[in-house]
Amino acid sequence: MRGSFVALLKKDFRLCVSGGFFLLALGSLILYSCYINLVYAKLDQELFPVYRYDPGKAGGERIAGVTDVGSLNELEEACADGYSVGLHINGDSVFGGKTEIMMVSCGIERLDHIREAYARSLLFQEDKTDALGQAEIIGVNTREMKNRREMTAEVLFFELVAVGFLGVASMLFKEKQMGVIRVHAILPVSRIQFILSKLTLLLSSDLLFAAVLTVVNLGMPEGLKALPGVLLQAGILSLVMALVGFLCAELLPDFKQFSLIYLVIAVFITTPVFLSVQAGVEMEWMRFHPMYHLFTAMKNAYFQVLSAGGLYYGACAAAIILLFLAAGWGLGREMKKEG
Amino acid sequence: MIRVNNLTFSYGKDKEALHGLDFTVGEGEIFGFLGPNGSGKSTTQKILTGILKGYGGRVSLLGQDIAAADTKELLKQIGVLFEFPYLYTNLSAVDNLRYFASFYPQERVRDVMELLDKLEFKKDYLKKPVSSYSKGMRQRVSMARALLNSPKLLFLDEPTSGLDPSGAVLFRKIIEEERGNGTTVFLTTHNMVDADLLCDRVAFILNGNIAALDTPQNLKEQNRTAQKEPTLEEVFIRYTGRGLEE
Repeated sequence: MRGSFVALLKKDFRLCVSGGFFLLALGSLILYSCYINLVYAKLDQELFPVYRYDPGKAGGERIAGVTDVGSLNELEEACADGYSVGLHINGDSVFGGKTEIMMVSCGIERLDHIREAYARSLLFQEDKTDALGQAEIIGVNTREMKNRREMTAEVLFFELVAVGFLGVASMLFKEKQMGVIRVHAILPVSRIQFILSKLTLLLSSDLLFAAVLTVVNLGMPEGLKALPGVLLQAGILSLVMALVGFLCAELLPDFKQFSLIYLVIAVFITTPVFLSVQAGVEMEWMRFHPMYHLFTAMKNAYFQVLSAGGLYYGACAAAIILLFLAAGWGLGREMKKEG
Repeated sequence: MIRVNNLTFSYGKDKEALHGLDFTVGEGEIFGFLGPNGSGKSTTQKILTGILKGYGGRVSLLGQDIAAADTKELLKQIGVLFEFPYLYTNLSAVDNLRYFASFYPQERVRDVMELLDKLEFKKDYLKKPVSSYSKGMRQRVSMARALLNSPKLLFLDEPTSGLDPSGAVLFRKIIEEERGNGTTVFLTTHNMVDADLLCDRVAFILNGNIAALDTPQNLKEQNRTAQKEPTLEEVFIRYTGRGLEE
């Protein structure tokens, strides 16, 4: 039994090598790491650009993060993008006078409030110490480390959802095309072993990818601290996506139809999740979206926050078991097909 | 060796494929299973090799009822040559055979190089990927795979398809040799020359029923006319009313 499993693993490994899967993963690793280290980690962009028109100089000297403009027209022009916030200080002092907030609404009321609060917080920086004094500070992230954690979580999620999914499906489509799946029906080897060998290979490759990506982009000490949580979430996501890819490849007749499903999954399933978590776009139904929870758990793992509970892990285990059973059924169906 | 009693199978409502087949194949016999496309040949072979379940009636192979037998143990003693040469095209002939050999007990596995040599496989292609092989070479590797585990029971589906005449002669010789070693052969084919030359008995299957079952010689005798003895193909058409490719 162990010999059969090793033979299946070796064969799948060679299929992955000949299909360029590992090369693609290595290319992605280099590309993502270059982007994170050379571009994203160095971004020093403010949350929202804030402009100030203060003719009476009531707000005092220059404030970090606030750009002064010379006229009301200039202020209006600067704030016309639905992203920036304008402060028109009209009076003798910031506290006693009237400060008008000017902005084009982004269309999401809650986000408009956040923009306003952020702009005001810059204006009254002396209050910041008091506000922070009310919270218990449990850890400190530099902006660079925050950027690194954020983007590494995103690219790992994307890699596992899109590339890993594609990897297992392309491997299975190749075997379908060669007709060799049918040969396994008359070999003394179980279907479970056939599926497990592919899962083992994909899972190992994804975990290795996740570990290297995390250590390279977060650095050794921080990366190692985050790694246990990240590997757990990467393992769950990798198994789920590999099984979904497996099932799609079994049920769909050719790669063209699979490409369409791939597009649906990559664009229509993951995009709303990114929009909701990263851009704060409000979507009521998002809490019913399984990918939202998987992405949130992944992101939390990078920030070393243990937020997922028993329900989350129970649902993941149930999903993996159900998908595994469905993959077994699909494999049996494929084996019975005519030449 | 093979015993089939009242075998029925349906792919769904109004899609009955087999209507109660009865036949037996003795040890060391070459049994031809002939019929036009869609007659139920593949369905029968899939049931016999354990791929299709949910059939009616009783099937026993090597003295064991396949519904109750340990499928893995049974499959260790069976060799199958599919209609198409299903192989890993990224691997060489040797790597393909070593891969498939790894699922059988070592004491049953034949030497890969000896098998390929017996099948007159071109030596300079041994380590080249299957994607560079001709259809005949692929068929040789597929035949080697079917024989790899020294099977007691050999299922052959169109064994000489894609072979040149000398290749077909070689394959017939090898099938005869296997039978000489005590292997039972269940041959599914459209090739009447193969069936006539190789089979001890043949069954004509039509629409899920056996239309005739006897030795090729007896079938020809029974259908002899005053003018001439018919060929096996003519006998087949007489029983089924259809050509083999219909």
